[in-house]
This record gives sequence, structure tokens and C-alpha cells, in this order.
Amino acid sequence: MPSDANRLHPLSAVTLALQRGLTGLSMPFFVVMILSTIFDGVDIDWIFMLAPVGFVVGIGYGIAYYYRFTYAITSRTLDVTSGVFSRRSREIPYRRIQNVDVSQGVLYRIFGLAVVSLETAGGGETEATLNFVSEAEAERLRAEIRRQTARADDDDASSDERAASASGSASASGVDESTRHERSHPDRRPTLLFELEPTELLVYALTSFRWGAAVFPIALVIFLTSADSGSGLVPAFVLEIARPVGGPASLDGAAVGSLLVLIAVTALQWSVATYVASAIYTVANYYGFRLGRAGADFVYERGLIQRYSGSIPVDKVQSVTITENPLQRLVGYAGLWVETAGYGPESSGGSQSAIPLAETDRIYRFAENLTDVETPRFQRPPTLARRRYLVRYSAIAAIVVAVAFGLAQGTGLERWYLAVAVFVAVPLAAHLKYVNLGYHVGEEHLVIRSGFWNRRTTVIPYYRIQTVSTRRSIFQRRLGLASLAVDTASSRTFSWGTPTVPDLELETARELHGIGRERLQSAVRERARSDETGLSVDFT
Amino acid sequence: METLHPRIRLLWIARGALAAVVLGVVLTAIDQWQVTVPVVAIGGVVALGLVTGTGYALRLYQVWQFELQDDALYLERGVVTFVETAVPFVRVQHVDTQFGPIERVLGLSSVVVYTAGSRNADVRIPGLTPERARTLQNTLRELAVESEADDAV
Repeated sequence: MPSDANRLHPLSAVTLALQRGLTGLSMPFFVVMILSTIFDGVDIDWIFMLAPVGFVVGIGYGIAYYYRFTYAITSRTLDVTSGVFSRRSREIPYRRIQNVDVSQGVLYRIFGLAVVSLETAGGGETEATLNFVSEAEAERLRAEIRRQTARADDDDASSDERAASASGSASASGVDESTRHERSHPDRRPTLLFELEPTELLVYALTSFRWGAAVFPIALVIFLTSADSGSGLVPAFVLEIARPVGGPASLDGAAVGSLLVLIAVTALQWSVATYVASAIYTVANYYGFRLGRAGADFVYERGLIQRYSGSIPVDKVQSVTITENPLQRLVGYAGLWVETAGYGPESSGGSQSAIPLAETDRIYRFAENLTDVETPRFQRPPTLARRRYLVRYSAIAAIVVAVAFGLAQGTGLERWYLAVAVFVAVPLAAHLKYVNLGYHVGEEHLVIRSGFWNRRTTVIPYYRIQTVSTRRSIFQRRLGLASLAVDTASSRTFSWGTPTVPDLELETARELHGIGRERLQSAVRERARSDETGLSVDFT
Repeated sequence: METLHPRIRLLWIARGALAAVVLGVVLTAIDQWQVTVPVVAIGGVVALGLVTGTGYALRLYQVWQFELQDDALYLERGVVTFVETAVPFVRVQHVDTQFGPIERVLGLSSVVVYTAGSRNADVRIPGLTPERARTLQNTLRELAVESEADDAV
């Protein structure tokens, strides 16, 4: 073991011991409880003897875990050794580290503690988590990893140029110097690239919808109604509010029409509550967002209560995505995301919001400066695609009407045929889907845009392509259409799906397929010569 | 373009048959405990499943093709959705040969090509003879090493 092995913060020994102690304490309860129902010889009273033993063993285990957990920064790797009985020692090469994230909950902030997670591209989970170290140690680790990464890069024969191009104006020695400078002056802030202003935060909170926030109203209702029981499955206030507009007085024997009113009113309430919860969540998470530059890394920090910060190496960025929902488009704002292959906290993948929200022009300028892509001139798939969506949405509308009809048969719902009204929305939906499609075949990038509700414009450097697929469903084959899927290593595609240009003419799709492959090859060759990253840190 | 070994059809037909039988068992269970399902209906569904499964397997064999091109492994496959995929050699992370118990009985083997991509990160070529699988694995490995890029991820 290296002599400069570090341990976690001493306080973590206390929390570990308490956690394991509680586990040890509770284990006998379950085991004895279960065993006593099976075997007659087992007495419930054993719990009182075994539980303290379990507690002590648990505490011992927690403390042993603390003493057996070490990490060390060596010249080439970050080593983490852990495990009480079965030991695991893991060496992570610096150049394989995707992003370093630091998160601090409320208590952590009070005591000056932080959790550090390191992401690499392999596997489905965080590569190493240091839970927890002191704030200063987290900062030191980050600076040290940055310094060592820059040094490891310098060891590469050709990496001088890379560092130079990655940092834009600064030369390779400049990068080294600035990081060294940073180390000797730990208070030095990284160069600020973007700061989220209060108005932008407000617009972001009001225009972004996080459906995950839908659980908050439910949790709140469960929490509040558990106090006054007897309201049954449906809380009384739900009925109360719906009654003036035609809701039922009680659920028993209510007419279908009034039940529908109740459902509609409740859904509306729920949406409003979700919207408010989502806005609060957004403010809490993105308050004080700042993006900066340190060496060849982006560094960000954000959060009101729980504080997040981290760094993203620029040459690990797989693709860049601009997101805009209809409301944001209306007020002329958009967001910018950079995606790496790492797996980050909050299951957001290696994707980090580079800029949560700013004026659309600014965002597009940032994206262009960052990736060096020319201003895209979007092309659209043939109008045949729109006909496809028309048919597709008509089928969905038909299903809605069929369901309404089915309900009418079972429950005596009157005027079920009013459901036919959904057909009115079909042409509009098909048109909106179609007009929001676009693709641009650039010199070094493919730009793909799609989606009405969550319009995403993704810039994919040909160099980042992993596989290219042309897909044709049976419906597409009849129309001579094909979709082109371009896969990258970005972990964001788990939730966003593989970037796809849908419903191109087969010939165009095949041509694009060929272009993607060809330009990947030439980019690889060019990269081997010059080792250029093609991304600029100094993008504002 | 190279096609798969004809014996893979047996594996795929067996898979379809298994699905049809499972469907039959489920329907019988429903008949026992929930609502009565006529025997004719169960038989019909199972027979239909068998026919569809077999047809699907035969068609899948017909369309499945692959080829080693200059810069990439190229595959064509799919009955409902026809997919043409190119896996550039530069992007190959590692290559496995695999065979399950049934494949072993049939004397077949699969080659699985892994990329760092997030979806479809593994591309499987089933229905190869063990020798072909081994040579393909070796070829792919050599091509991948030859064209190695510095920092894919």
C-alpha cells in the first residue's frame, strides 16, 4: 500500500459505525421474529440478548470499514482500496475519468463535508464514491486529478497540441502553469463562462416541467390525510372541490358523468400541484448555477439546499444537445446540455446541464462556439413522413374513440361519440411533429432536431459515432422511407433514446449512412495526425 | 454477403414453438381458474402461434446477412423492422464467441461484438459454425487493433 494513502473524513467513521450498528441492531428482530414462527424452540426474548450483540458487531464492522477504506493519488492512477473481509482494490487511470462530481447535503454543508463520485465510461454505476471527505479535501482531490490528468496527457507524445487546442488560446505549458498556479492558490476561482441570473432561474422554473415531481403532491396528500383517517381511499377535499362544478357528493352510486368531472378536476389539481412542486425543485437545484473553465475542464456548481459541483473534461464530451419546450420557445429561451459517457448522480447520466436556460440566440452561439459546427441549415424529411404521422395519430384517435365506446357499453356513459372530437387534433399533431423535424449534414458534425414537446437539437461530431443503423419498419418499407439511428457513447441516450433522423427517403438515409461512416474514418485519420479534440472550452 | 448456417432455423423455430406452448399453458390456466376458454380456441391459438413462429424463423433466416467491409462490420437483419447496421472497426471494444446449451447441441456458435455505444452496444451474429465464429472473432480483433483510435470515450 502506498505511504500516501488517505482515509475518509474521521466523522464518516462515526456515521458508518452508526449505520452498520443500526443494521446490526435490527437484524436480530427480523431473524428471531421469523424463526420463532417456524421453530418452537426459538423464543422472542432472544431479541433482547441478540440485538445489543448485533449493535456492537455492526459498530465494529463500520469502524473496520472506515479503517480498511483507503484511497491514494499516484502518478498514473487513482487507487481505491476497500472491503473488510473481501478486499477490492481498484485503480482508475486518470485519462479514463469522465467526470468528477461533488454533492453536499444540508448537514454536509454545515459540517463542511462532501461526497465525491468519479465516473468512468465502463459499467453501469459510479466507479468510485468517497462518502465522505472534507470540503477542502474534495477540492484538493479535484485539483489534483485535474493536474495529474494534464500531466498524463503531456506524457503522450502528441498531446501538447491537444492541450493547446482544447484550451483554445492557452498553450500546453499555459494549461500546466495555470493548474499549478491553481494548486498553489486554492482560493483562485476558475474562469467564469456562464452564470444563471435570477430572471433566468425564474423563467427556467416556470417553463420546465419535471413529471417526476408528480410524486410530491401524492406524498403530501398521503402524509396529511394519514392524520385524519376515515376519509377512505379518496381524500375528502378532492370531492369537496369538485362538487361545485358537478362532481359527485360521494363515490358510492355516483353517475358516470359526475365521476368524469371529478377525475378531470382532480387531474387539474394534481397538475397544478406538480407544476408548483417542479418549479420549487428547479429553483432548489439550479439556484446559483455557475459554469466555469479550469484547465481543460468545465466546472459547474449549483443548488440551494443540496449543493452540487463537478468537473467535465472537454475532450470527453460526446455530443451537445439544445433543449426547448413550447413555452421556452414562446419566450425565446433554450437550454444547453453536454453529454459524456459517464454515469452521474441523480441518474442524469453523464449529461450535465452546461447552461440550464438562456436566450435562444445565445444558446445557439454557445453551441456553435463549443463544437465549432457551422450554423445549421436544417433540411426536413419528405412530406410523405407527415402523411405517416397523420395515419399514426388517426390510429391513436380511433383507439380513444373505441375505448370511449367500450366504456359506454359497460357503464351507460352517454354521448360517448363526443370522443370523436380528438380527430380534430390529429392533423395539427402530425403537422407539429413534422415541422419540428430537421437534420443538417455538416462538415464535421451531424445535427439532428426532433420533438414538439421537448424539442432537442443534438450536435454529433462524426468522430463520436459508435454505430450507424438504417431502420425500416413494415410501414416505412411500403412508403420507401427509412430512419437513420446514430449511436454515440453518450449515456444520456438511455433516457433520451438514440439520436435518430426519422422517415427519410431510403436513398437519402443510405447516403447519410455512408457519409457518417466515411467522415468517421477521415476524422479518425485526422485525429491520429493532429490529435485535435474539436471542442473549445472557451466557448462564450 | 455471408448468410447464417441453415441449422439456426431449428433454434429459432424451437424458440417460436416454446412461446406458442407457453401461450397455450397460460390459456389453459385461465380456462381452469378464470373463464372457460374453448379447447378449440386454445388449439387454434397454439397452432397459429406455431405457424407464425415458424414463418418468422424462416423469414428471419432469409434476411439475415453480414459482411466484413473495408472499414466496418455490416449487418442486415429483421423481419418486422429491417435494420442495416454498420459497426466501424475503430469502435469495436471487444469480441466474444458464445454458445448456449441448445446452440451447442446444434453445433452452432455466436459472435458478439461490443462497442462503447449506449443502445445496441452489443451486436450478435448468431448461427455460425464454431470454426467460423473463431475465425471471425480473430479477424475482427485484428481489424479492431489495426484501426485503433486513441480516445473513443
